[in-house]
Amino acid sequence: MTALLNLDSIVAGYGAGDILKGVDLNVSEGDVTCLIGPNGAGKSTVLKAVSGLLRPKTGRVLFCGDDVTGLGPKAKLLRGIVHVPQDRSLFPAMTVWDNLLMAGYLKRDTKALKSRIDTVAGLFPIVVQRRTAHAGSLSGGEQKQVELARTLLFDPKLILLDEPSIGLDPKSRRLVFEAVGQLAADGRTVLLVEQNARSGLAASDRGVVLEAGMVRLTGTGQALLADPEVARLYLGAAARPVTTTTTPGGTE
Amino acid sequence: MHTIIQGVILGILTGGVYALMAGGQTLIFGIMKVVNLAQGAMVILSAYLSYTLFTSAGIDPFLAVLITTPAMFCLGVAVQWLFLRQLRREDAAELSILVTFAIALAVEGVLSVVYSTSYRSINASYANTSFTVGGYQVSAVRLYAFLLSVGVLGLLYLLLHRTRFGRAVRATVQNPEAARLLGVEPARIRALGFGLGTATAAAAGSVFGLIYPFNAGSHYDLISQLLSVVVLGGLGSLGGAVVAGVIIGVSSSVVAVAWSPTWSQFTFFVVLLAVLLIRPRGLFGTVLRGAL
Repeated sequence: MTALLNLDSIVAGYGAGDILKGVDLNVSEGDVTCLIGPNGAGKSTVLKAVSGLLRPKTGRVLFCGDDVTGLGPKAKLLRGIVHVPQDRSLFPAMTVWDNLLMAGYLKRDTKALKSRIDTVAGLFPIVVQRRTAHAGSLSGGEQKQVELARTLLFDPKLILLDEPSIGLDPKSRRLVFEAVGQLAADGRTVLLVEQNARSGLAASDRGVVLEAGMVRLTGTGQALLADPEVARLYLGAAARPVTTTTTPGGTE
Repeated sequence: MHTIIQGVILGILTGGVYALMAGGQTLIFGIMKVVNLAQGAMVILSAYLSYTLFTSAGIDPFLAVLITTPAMFCLGVAVQWLFLRQLRREDAAELSILVTFAIALAVEGVLSVVYSTSYRSINASYANTSFTVGGYQVSAVRLYAFLLSVGVLGLLYLLLHRTRFGRAVRATVQNPEAARLLGVEPARIRALGFGLGTATAAAAGSVFGLIYPFNAGSHYDLISQLLSVVVLGGLGSLGGAVVAGVIIGVSSSVVAVAWSPTWSQFTFFVVLLAVLLIRPRGLFGTVLRGAL
């Protein structure tokens, strides 16, 4: 499968310190790729470097074969990259409906946007059921559904999802992973960061282990779930028998 | 009792104008987290523009709003772009106090040179007209100014709540990073928001000279009153600024008619302290925080 996104030796960080110290990563079109790793490994920073919130110091970000390294979030959004950050990205004092309309800020085609809202409401009925409620009054799981619905309004080529299950109760967490599964079934390309490594890898085609700003392991989601070292370090349990192989360091 | 009710009527009408001036101030705080000490100077600058249009071209101050408001909007955008945009985000809240105070002093200096320090006022033909409603006197100037305030605040509300730009402003206030990820450019919103806040003050400033005599130094009293209104309403809350403007307008006006105008100014701060003792974040500081 062709690589939709390619990170080539990305070094990035805040101020003098580097968080990413030469990240190489490929995300194939139509795949759900999950980034796992310990706190501080740089998982969220990878997403910020891709979406343009953080400009890499060196290295290249290639999207659909084009060098988009220096572009900001607006330009990346117009190319089809949508970033759903870890902290709630809704606007709490605005209604659910106004939150959805924010997806049309750049394209201004209200008619097309409303038609897409109707389509997305099929997947996430809450956007219609609670359209007049303030986003801040929704539960964590409901907010996440509205975030995902708004993301789909962009008809994105690549979705960057940062810890979508963080802070959610088990039922909401299950709903979120079902939604990720739905995105995968629709053929969306997703780069997912997930602290809950087991659930994240289980929902993904591919997994990438990031440690201290470097890629340590890559493989299929199932392979990483079965890898004893990954299990010991990140899954908190013994691994199942290995059926596929993982590749140490870099991309495959 | 008649005197008190007369004071309440006067206070509501005056409070509306305070609400307009403070509405711009709280909008700027909401968008930029900047305490704009130049807001009073911008009101006075607008008052001088209106005065000049009236004395040299015979343009009524209520019509002059159509000229002063866009002009001051452009000035506000320019001020933000030239002086505030450069501030590092982590220092912006503190440094902006110094920068906006410097801007206020610069405006005061220029106005003092151009117009001298003599007090001015705009004496329109209807300046002393009043209506009698149910036995109470309603000043025509204050009534028109109140209606102007209601109209401008209504337009501001519609702009913020019914337009794409308004949604982007509110989104930036509530979650700037998320807004950026949806294609909003916070730098542009901050510049336009500052312009909008200045224009709102300018609308009030245009008719300020009809109600009060003013000179270049009048912004000192004004900014302390505006800050009282904004803090009382809850920093960043437009609805709070409107309610607080009316509360402070009514209380100071009632004190003025019932006791003495000398104590009227003092009332601003007594009401402010009393409310802050009970609600340290102001009247709507928690309920509507970030809601604009």
